[in-house]
Amino acid sequence: MTTRKMVFVDTSLCTGCKGCSVACKAWNELPAEKTKLIYGYISQDSTTPTTWTYMSYHEKYENGKMHFLMMKHQCYHCGDPACMKACPVGAISQTDSGYVLINQDKCIGCGYCVANCPWGIPKTDETKNKTYKCTGCIDRVENGLKPACVSTCQPGALQFGDREAMLQTAKARLEEVKKSYPKANLYGENLMGGTTYVYLLLDEPEVYGLPANPTVPSSLTFWKDIIQPYGGWLIPLAGAAAIGSFFSTRLINAASSKSKGGKTHGH
Amino acid sequence: MSPSFGRGAMTNSWQDMQNSEVFLIAGSNCAECHPIAWKWINRARLKGAKVIVVDPRFTRTASKADIFAQIRPGTDIAYLGAIIKYIIDNKLYDDYYVKTFTNALYKINKDFKFEDGMFSGFNSETKKYSYSTWSYQLDANNNPIKADSLDDPDCAFTKLKEHFSRYTFELAEQITGIPAAKIKEIAEVFCSRRPGNILYALGMTQHTTAVQGIRCYAIIQLLLGNMGKAGGGIQALRGEPNVQGSTDMANLNANLPGYIPYPTNAEKTLQHFAAKHGTAQYRPMVAILKAWFGQNATAANDYGYDWLPKNNPANMPTQTQFFGQMEKGQFKLLFNFGSNSTVSIPDRKIVARGLSKLDMLVVTDIFETETAQFWREPGMKPEDIQTEVIFLPAAFVYEKAGTMTNSSRLIQWKEAALKPLNESLPDLDIIDLIFKKIRELYAGSTDPKDNAILKANWDYGKHADPYKVLEEINGYNDNTGKLISSLAEYLNAPIGTVSTGCWIYAGVTGSGNLANQRNNSDPTGLGLNKDYAYAWPGNIRVLYNRASCDANGQPVDEKRKLIWWDAAQGVWTGYDGPDVVDKTKGPDTPEGKVAFKQTPEGVGRLFTASYTSGVPVAATVELPVPTRSAGMTVDGPLPEFYEPIESPTANILHPNVQNNPCAKIISTEFGSPEEYPHVLTTYGVVEHFCAGAITRNIPWLNEIMPEPFAEISKSLAKKIGVKEGDKVEVSSARGKLTVRAIVTDRLQPYKVNGKEVETIGMPWSWGFASLSPGPSTNNVTMAAIDPGAGTPEYKCCLVNIRRA
Repeated sequence: MTTRKMVFVDTSLCTGCKGCSVACKAWNELPAEKTKLIYGYISQDSTTPTTWTYMSYHEKYENGKMHFLMMKHQCYHCGDPACMKACPVGAISQTDSGYVLINQDKCIGCGYCVANCPWGIPKTDETKNKTYKCTGCIDRVENGLKPACVSTCQPGALQFGDREAMLQTAKARLEEVKKSYPKANLYGENLMGGTTYVYLLLDEPEVYGLPANPTVPSSLTFWKDIIQPYGGWLIPLAGAAAIGSFFSTRLINAASSKSKGGKTHGH
Repeated sequence: MSPSFGRGAMTNSWQDMQNSEVFLIAGSNCAECHPIAWKWINRARLKGAKVIVVDPRFTRTASKADIFAQIRPGTDIAYLGAIIKYIIDNKLYDDYYVKTFTNALYKINKDFKFEDGMFSGFNSETKKYSYSTWSYQLDANNNPIKADSLDDPDCAFTKLKEHFSRYTFELAEQITGIPAAKIKEIAEVFCSRRPGNILYALGMTQHTTAVQGIRCYAIIQLLLGNMGKAGGGIQALRGEPNVQGSTDMANLNANLPGYIPYPTNAEKTLQHFAAKHGTAQYRPMVAILKAWFGQNATAANDYGYDWLPKNNPANMPTQTQFFGQMEKGQFKLLFNFGSNSTVSIPDRKIVARGLSKLDMLVVTDIFETETAQFWREPGMKPEDIQTEVIFLPAAFVYEKAGTMTNSSRLIQWKEAALKPLNESLPDLDIIDLIFKKIRELYAGSTDPKDNAILKANWDYGKHADPYKVLEEINGYNDNTGKLISSLAEYLNAPIGTVSTGCWIYAGVTGSGNLANQRNNSDPTGLGLNKDYAYAWPGNIRVLYNRASCDANGQPVDEKRKLIWWDAAQGVWTGYDGPDVVDKTKGPDTPEGKVAFKQTPEGVGRLFTASYTSGVPVAATVELPVPTRSAGMTVDGPLPEFYEPIESPTANILHPNVQNNPCAKIISTEFGSPEEYPHVLTTYGVVEHFCAGAITRNIPWLNEIMPEPFAEISKSLAKKIGVKEGDKVEVSSARGKLTVRAIVTDRLQPYKVNGKEVETIGMPWSWGFASLSPGPSTNNVTMAAIDPGAGTPEYKCCLVNIRRA
């Protein structure tokens, strides 16, 4: 069995150069989008079907001291992925190494995964009816290479390796960084079943516009763990279509309000 | 740096930054603009190094600093002067180092004076200084007289102490806007941790006081004993990947390759040149003439010295100046390779005016830059422009072989990875084809002025081979008929028996292509990587490393030892190449004490005195020939603070001398602080490269940085009624442009001489063409240049701003 992998995002070393954004586009052959500045140096404030990682900046001026925080965003590749639970057609799977992948042949672009991701990461291309997100560069990793973003990161803010070893590195680094940034914390170690991208943040998650406690919606747990296993005999029942529609509508509403909250820029 | 240390180059390397205990990063946003520097700085940070950032803006670099100070653009010398005073007052200097490796004890001419902002010897008509009083007291043998103690009233150290006695922390606060306590904190932290490293880039050089700002760095590092040591030094982070290479190959108009002074019309013969510049320059001059004229260069014809066109010092325009000369008709033809002046030159309307008066403009580039289509800019009248414009498509960096020399003086060979697209060609092929055609046209001419073309040694093959060019640069030995094997072989050969196209590169192909070495091993852990490519001179990775040893020639820092004297073998040896006069001369000999062998005194220069060392005579020369002349700072032997040409305030040090009296001013329109109350500073962003000719044509980069902007403080935004994202018009006496406003806490208003001042920050990489056109910030900047280096004062001018 393959060991679980991890990318350690040490934001104390990140310089916000956006090299990861470009490396991601280059490796995955994603086209550039026409953008405008949205705020500060930000021209992208969410993922799109063709933008799988982007950089955000957060400014906090306190007691005459400036804090200029930066982090990259992409799929967290959760240990307990809500998107996978939500997918009605079984297009989303998880590898032993911890990667959460969308099988494009199976994907129908329904958007359930989009709505249920606590960070609003996957995005549906409405013309192709397919949903896309960061693959973790599984095609590189399975061939002995580092993910494109990690391999291009000059200041060494991104490190890739086995999860246990990376977590040790991350914890040691946290102890060091806490001396200068008392609010520093590891984000992702235990969230959503433990994420594959784990961050060292210099301030509370909310300052970065991140949910402090992302969760799998309980309604989704109900759908996945209770209803879906019986789908084989439930669906032929007359009421099945109505039940499905009831849940999906509820879920989308619940999750989209959540993902909006995750997109604000602390400044 | 050249007047201080003898060589105008970054002293250490990128990898060496991991060895520093503290960094002063002032005049560089390296986390953004030199990401590789940041990679190594991060390694030092992980080991506990402290980072101090001084910048007009809170940059991405500042976000990683332990100490940040926001400074008014163009006032660095004021706070650096206060740090120098702090070091001297508190006796924090390295006493042994200062007495041994600097000219601190050298007695200065009693007629030297500094009064009311002016040094002795100024000619107000030419706006130039005579160096006659900036000299040493000399003994009968032409050697400088040394004082017995640093308290001697005549010694350079005392001059330094007196000069900077005016620079208190409080005065520095009034000028720079940095609180005095913060300046003191910077001084304390930087002086308490050694080795300390200073990094700068265009933030320090793009001023009319550029050279003197760097001189402050030199003085600080010499006083603290940080020069010549792993983790120390002064790092000039170059603005482009191969700027060091192009400077080595003489992109400055007063140089020949290898920093040989370009002969002027006063040096009519080779003997005159030798008399003026000494044997130190005579040797490489003969070698380069032999490289350029080959068999045609003989002792009998002064190696073809007469064939070299000579400079006229009264008319030597730098790039910023020559567009004005073009407008007056001095130039008929401009070959423009890989430069986008229409975007990059300050007060840029002068560019189009100049180009419009040419007979022909040839632009070689990979994209059709703004310069290549200057006549298409909105507002131009193409029907009135007679200039014939020819565009030659160039190969991109990956489509051509050759070398690049990075800031660490590392000469790196690369092969072409791809074939050039369509008809595009490498620059070398283009120049080779043009030269061959020109020589064909001049064939048979007997006019002496055509000899330079007809007698040139030009044979790089049918299709020009860049390796043959590198071999010519390396040089040949007539006696062996082979390539020079090392720098030492060149230096020890009788003058006239060796050629080299750039003497500091001698040895690069001496035993195979050393620039192509790719062994990345680093057994010392100091980042020397001696078998990776080849660093000039002689593969030395840390310049002046003799200064890392004590009186016995042993390393003062065991953890970071570079070289040492091996008494048993009678030789200087070590992990790095020893930067010594003679490897066999021990620390008890005069030569063995020399740490700065490229200066005439052999020491680092706290006071840049005028001095020509040595004793006459080389065999082939009739006139007396001294050995070496000092590099000079044309605007003073000690740094003095002057206000930028456009400044929001009066010079409180000397109100009658507001600006650098030697500055060369090209722009003709100037604004007052009443009309233009704010200070503009310009810079690059990580997403775009220089004038944007390449990067604005790369969609992925346009996506992440789509447009230019003006960064302003929240208080200024409030004053002018602007919020984030609004359009603002920024104007100066010279022009205006409209961009998007970024409203941020990363800029704060500050007090200067009691008055509140705002800084506005704008990137400059946009122009009217490309996939991502945008207005050019150089509409408003000012063309005024440093008298020594010729760099324009892009970093400060006065502007106004309003909601558009």
